[in-house]
Amino acid sequence: MATTSPSTPTSPAGSDASTNAERPSRRSFVFLGALAATALLPKAGNAQGKTRKRPVAEPVDSEFPTVRQNESVAAFSEWETTLGRLVRRASYGATAAEVAKANQLGFQGYINYQLNYSRIDDSAVETAVAQRWPLMSQTSDALFSADAGTVRTQLQESTIYRAAFSQRQLYQRMVEFWSDHFNQDIDKVGYLLVADQRDVIRKHALGKFPDLLKASAHSASMMVYLDQNASRNKAPNQNYAREIMELHTLGVDGGYTQDDVAELSRVLTGWTVQGRGQFVFNPLIHDIGAKTVMGVTIPAATSQSADGINEGEKMLDFLVNHPNTMRFISTKMLKWLLTPNPTETQITAIMSVYKATGGDIKAMVRAILNDAWLAAAPMKLKRPFHFLASSLRSTAPTIVSMATFNSQLNNLGQPLFGWDTPDGYPDKVEYWAGNIVPRWNYATVVSALNSQTTAAVDTTAYRAGSPDAAVDLIDQNFFGGEMPLVTRNALLTYIKAGTFNDTRVREAIGLAISANAFQWY
Amino acid sequence: MNEQHPDDCGCQEYNELSRRQFITTSAVGASAAFFPAWLPRVVMSKAFASDRDIIVSVFMRGGADGLSLVAPFADANYYTSRSTIAIPRPDSTAATKGLNLDGFFMFPQAMTGGAAGTGGLMPAYQLQDLLIVHATGQLNNSRSHFDAQRYMEVGKPVDPTLVTGWLGRHLASIPPLKPDAPLRALGVSNGLQKTLVGAPKTLPISDPTNYSIGGSATTQTQRLGFMQSDYAASEEPLHSAALDATNTVTLLKTVNFAGYKTANNAVYPNSSFGRALRSVAVLIKSDVGIEAAQVDIGGWDTHSGQDPLAGSMFRTMQDFSNSLGAFYADVIAMGYNVTVVAVSEFGRNVRENGSAGTDHGRGTVMFAMGKGINGGRVIMKNWPGLARENLESGQDLKVTIDYRDILAEIVQRRLGNPNLGFVFPSWTPTTFGVTR
Repeated sequence: MATTSPSTPTSPAGSDASTNAERPSRRSFVFLGALAATALLPKAGNAQGKTRKRPVAEPVDSEFPTVRQNESVAAFSEWETTLGRLVRRASYGATAAEVAKANQLGFQGYINYQLNYSRIDDSAVETAVAQRWPLMSQTSDALFSADAGTVRTQLQESTIYRAAFSQRQLYQRMVEFWSDHFNQDIDKVGYLLVADQRDVIRKHALGKFPDLLKASAHSASMMVYLDQNASRNKAPNQNYAREIMELHTLGVDGGYTQDDVAELSRVLTGWTVQGRGQFVFNPLIHDIGAKTVMGVTIPAATSQSADGINEGEKMLDFLVNHPNTMRFISTKMLKWLLTPNPTETQITAIMSVYKATGGDIKAMVRAILNDAWLAAAPMKLKRPFHFLASSLRSTAPTIVSMATFNSQLNNLGQPLFGWDTPDGYPDKVEYWAGNIVPRWNYATVVSALNSQTTAAVDTTAYRAGSPDAAVDLIDQNFFGGEMPLVTRNALLTYIKAGTFNDTRVREAIGLAISANAFQWY
Repeated sequence: MNEQHPDDCGCQEYNELSRRQFITTSAVGASAAFFPAWLPRVVMSKAFASDRDIIVSVFMRGGADGLSLVAPFADANYYTSRSTIAIPRPDSTAATKGLNLDGFFMFPQAMTGGAAGTGGLMPAYQLQDLLIVHATGQLNNSRSHFDAQRYMEVGKPVDPTLVTGWLGRHLASIPPLKPDAPLRALGVSNGLQKTLVGAPKTLPISDPTNYSIGGSATTQTQRLGFMQSDYAASEEPLHSAALDATNTVTLLKTVNFAGYKTANNAVYPNSSFGRALRSVAVLIKSDVGIEAAQVDIGGWDTHSGQDPLAGSMFRTMQDFSNSLGAFYADVIAMGYNVTVVAVSEFGRNVRENGSAGTDHGRGTVMFAMGKGINGGRVIMKNWPGLARENLESGQDLKVTIDYRDILAEIVQRRLGNPNLGFVFPSWTPTTFGVTR
């Protein structure tokens, strides 16, 4: 119990807040005392004294004032350039090479480069994936006979490898985003997930949202995950019908009722799976009666025929063109790429891009990652997968086996494709913050890697010059040249406190990965 | 607490907190999403009973077969439904016969440390510190592990707006046992179990005996010092979590796990469940301020080859009962104020399937153990019977007691928390005399 004094709620905006016309005067926000206090602390090294706009949260209409996490969390004062902010948001880690690339291309050039991902030569990574994890290119028919554990491991390891080492970094970030949006638990769907990841998520991650949604609705894996394959005219299963509205399109407050769920489940009867993982519409289990979903009427059919699938297709079209879908997807993308608390202005702006482009994800990403919004965006906590991929990018180990990294992801709390509920791994700082010791432990493990049979981190370059030069190199490789001054000083002190050798340098690398600034992006 | 409240009279007095105060004071990391506005207001005790129990919450993941754990030998349909996997009657001559509990139910030998019945959970039962609740579970009839575990842990069925667990809300609505404890609760797990979500100063710690930043022991303190200063100006909630974590690493280093000597010659099985309970026992006896632990045991999803007499179900039950039996001897019998509860998301079909296993069912058993538990009994609300016409959907033992009734009484009477409407929202519990 820190305090129980009913003091006046601290304004989240602080003294340097931008004005916000949407902010009602009578509503107040409550903040954790410490949160407000730390947010207002001057950061070490803030010599330039630049003022940054801080986003002000939307009010919550509630009897009680509520806490909005993270709403005034600023960024490190060292994170001065919007180009650096762009690289952090658009990648799994601002390494020296990534920053150099961005500097060369400029802000717009780097965005264009990352968005036109198919033009980026990624053959080195794809060749490695094909060699190391050959099951990833196989069909469900073939994977049916493969060892389930091997399929899982190959899917997990290749996903980590691609996130860390692909040149198509922004694309990989969006693959992660959609993998959570259309989350499936590999314990339930098994090998079917390989095709879903490849032919749904990766195929459309930077395509058009309507295409992505429809591909997902025709995915055997999704049908199995949400029990659509158990749904039939006599006994419709509402699981998928509910989630496609609640989680995939309209959002939980998207204006549908329980009746709409029931009616949509009738529309979708017949959408199922055959053989070893082939989506199929089976007219014999389709409910041909009349239905009404969210005001859309579907007349009764005269007989069960293959045309019955068109009822569902019609509803998918309805859903992807619904304003609440535009709002839900725009808001969620803003939260992923920019800020945990997007403003109404931002949401409306991205909705209009969705509307104008038919849900073009590239166009929406481009609109979100603009100079002004990035400059004002608070930092976000890396989830364990992101954190681990960052560490791989920064340490650039020689990798014989990815097994260590894959198992470490379990310790970090984010086993890939292991989230059982259809909402996907949370993107909330309060969910992840508790598991910090495993990150520090992992940092020790990865920095110590020096095995010819598993993985090795080479420290030669760090030991080539002085301790100061070593810390400079850490700054470049781990922090994109924007390492907070407090961390720099502490690292230097740490290195100098011992013998400047391989062991000490590895420990310093471990501390860099453990450092506060390495957890955020 | 006391220092900040000069008006504290030391009596049982409660202070109604506004939601704002509650969230401000109780849980760093709390958010509107964690405690939605429709939850009742919290009444936070100003002075609290320091002798309230520590709770060890066990989740038997996978749907544990209550009809093997505590078998109703006096219900003839038990034997007709399970031709190959039934446990022989206590009055039979079979070497694998069960051990009579109350003339109607029996423990299989896996639960009693063998035929003599001097081990496992039998001593706790005989000393009336173990209560068995039968034909219990949740009213929500999901047979999906996925949904059933989630709703059981959350403590309210089918509500997507509630993401906190019942134990998390308990801890968030009661002052800490030790005001300066860096760690109030732990989930023995890589990620925090849903049961504990929402609890302040609570961390997932998969192995408390090895909760460290690793690397050289020589430089560990120095490196931990780097973390403490580097995170000093971190943003919430990472700032508090890092502080809690460094303090907990330091705290756990002072706890001698390796040299721990159990009381009463208790022997914990060298299983993940046994090791977890042993660690929890060490933490409790170290008096470091732990007031709740969530521990899981899997292996209950017995679709085939169940064999409660010698096979997989036998081994799982044996691990369960020997571990909890050791915990009883080591901790509870020594007089520590601890209550243990064990639940599972659902039971299994009454009739065995074609592969000598059982599929997902409904009603099962739950356990409560402690000096404050009115045990030595198997309680239920009229045995629903195992005849086909008495089964839910013609296949399952009916749920006659909602598991929240049992937990609510423990939360209120053993854990000293009056905020039942907050811990178990929208549920008016019935009291079954679970506590003494």
